[in-house]
Amino acid sequence: MGQRRRAGAVKTLSSERDSADVARICNRKHNICMVSDFFYPNMGGVESHIYQLSQCLIEKGHKVVIATHAYGRRRGVRYLTNGLKVYYLPLQVMYSQSTATTCVHSLPLLRCVFVREQITVVHAHSSFSSMAHDALFHAKTMGLNTVFTDHSLFGFADLSSVLTNKLLTITLCDTNHIVCVSYTSKENTVLRAVLNPEIVSVIPNAVDPTDFTPDPSQRPADRITIVVISRLVYRKGIDLLGGIIPELCLKHPDLHFLIGGEGPKRLVLEEVREKYQLHDRVRLLGALEHKDVRGVLVQGHIFLNTSLTEAFCMAIVEGASCGLQVVSTRVGGIPEVLPDDLITLCEPTVRSLCDGLEQVIAKQRSDSFPSPASIHNRVRNLYTWKNVAERTEKVYDKVVGEEVLPLAKRLRRLRSHCGPVAGSIFAFVAMLDFLFLLLLQWLLPDRFMDVAVDATGPHGLWRQKTSRKKFD
Amino acid sequence: MEEEAFTDINGKPITLDCHSHSSFCREFTVSSPKVSIGKVMVYTCSVWLLAYAVFFFTQNTAVLSSAILITLVGMMLHIHFVKVDHESLLVIGSLGIQVSSSYASGREVTTFIEMSKIKDIVINEAIYMHQIIYYLCVLLKEPFEPNEVSSVVPLFQSSKPRLGCLVKVYKSCQEILSTCQ
Repeated sequence: MGQRRRAGAVKTLSSERDSADVARICNRKHNICMVSDFFYPNMGGVESHIYQLSQCLIEKGHKVVIATHAYGRRRGVRYLTNGLKVYYLPLQVMYSQSTATTCVHSLPLLRCVFVREQITVVHAHSSFSSMAHDALFHAKTMGLNTVFTDHSLFGFADLSSVLTNKLLTITLCDTNHIVCVSYTSKENTVLRAVLNPEIVSVIPNAVDPTDFTPDPSQRPADRITIVVISRLVYRKGIDLLGGIIPELCLKHPDLHFLIGGEGPKRLVLEEVREKYQLHDRVRLLGALEHKDVRGVLVQGHIFLNTSLTEAFCMAIVEGASCGLQVVSTRVGGIPEVLPDDLITLCEPTVRSLCDGLEQVIAKQRSDSFPSPASIHNRVRNLYTWKNVAERTEKVYDKVVGEEVLPLAKRLRRLRSHCGPVAGSIFAFVAMLDFLFLLLLQWLLPDRFMDVAVDATGPHGLWRQKTSRKKFD
Repeated sequence: MEEEAFTDINGKPITLDCHSHSSFCREFTVSSPKVSIGKVMVYTCSVWLLAYAVFFFTQNTAVLSSAILITLVGMMLHIHFVKVDHESLLVIGSLGIQVSSSYASGREVTTFIEMSKIKDIVINEAIYMHQIIYYLCVLLKEPFEPNEVSSVVPLFQSSKPRLGCLVKVYKSCQEILSTCQ
């Protein structure tokens, strides 16, 4: 408690200082801990977002560590490229790579990580990850500044989203800053978690443009290929795809489909293929590794996305970066992603998507589209990780100047923001968490914990070693 | 011969004793504090009080005698198998490393690792119980592939010194290892 008061006092002092100090604060390097259940070896958008963002922040001189749960035999401490340190903590996995949440049991290990790495900002990712929620909860108990990035859109009606939304309201009501990947996602998060929109920023995802370069020579000349790359699940609108395929294949005998991805809705596509005898024209490639995606994309002329909900669609940016014409449904954050002349937006119905595709196919036949290389050149500077890192850095600069709510205020905030029942329950849990922290601090005071040797950051040993190697 | 005070990962005081026999032979001894009489009293009293409570309800004297037996046997097992007084690491350049730990009862366990099997000595990080700690370990070579690590032998396993102590041992071990390679 004493430690937190001191920290609070320092913070109010620093906020009283005038703008002369702002420049110094802006140049300050942070010790950032990214927390999420989802990280490599698991594959997906959140994982690569965390990895790429961390790498760019390391390049800017910040210290970054990642905490996630153990994946099988991969547990303990690992180092990735450029000294990015990853803690694989042995926490029990409950459901689809998400850990069980009790709000308390992960405190000893996370406290150990935060203390020994001298973390100043805790950045949690993804609202599906209960470890992220736990980490935010503990970080606030320990008096650390917190940032949360939301990667997905949710509904409001069904039971699971009602519960997740409640949990999100509770975690975010005293979080310092929230980052969303698109304006639609911001609106959704603000509504779901009953937030003040001023503390929510929009920082889109990015793609590495050097990974997705066009190569028109890979396209077969005698046919038009439509590429679909997504997980084959309901959310991605695979049922729509099942309706489109037979209709277009009947009209255009030179049309081929190339579908990458795996999931429960694969059955729908296999059924369609069987029924209309399209085995030679609809190829299902199964699950693709990230490095193979480009090889599939460059074989096509048109990229089709049929998602029913999407916060920010990375796939269409990757498609456009490879020089494909993009056809997509007008849902969620998709309309914000690409300029209007690079994308054809349709309503999420079979009819509308077919019309949109017909138009694009007709244009493709008359060769009235710009060349893949020119599309790539336009897209490559739209979304870069460097830009994402710069904007995230600004969020950190803002956040470290803010005050972390002391316990009494936090309890009041919980009860006033989250309803009388859930608010009281979680105020009680926050109390428990605080008492548990006191117990841990009594059992093993912070001063007995070894401060970790920095691999990254201003005093990082990793960079010195490599630069020394360069000089030798 | 010099003696330095450090703490272990739980904040208990330990001492590191560096003994330089010659330029390529050094011995490091980490000593933990002796079993404290207070701790023995607390454990004995709690077992006996529990036994008396059970005796009060059951009126069976066997409970009391078994409590005495349990404390005696427990104490013997503790000093014979659990409580380590000294852990020492003897590094002899070109010959090998000897790791020995002496228990409170006087029992001593010693292992020797040949220099040809040793790849390196490093400080590593691990998750131990509910903590993340640094520890010193010897990396062993794969017999036929000298660049692969076949297994890891942790050192000072029962005293668990903190980073400051480990760095000191590590540095002087590396001095010897680098001269003999």
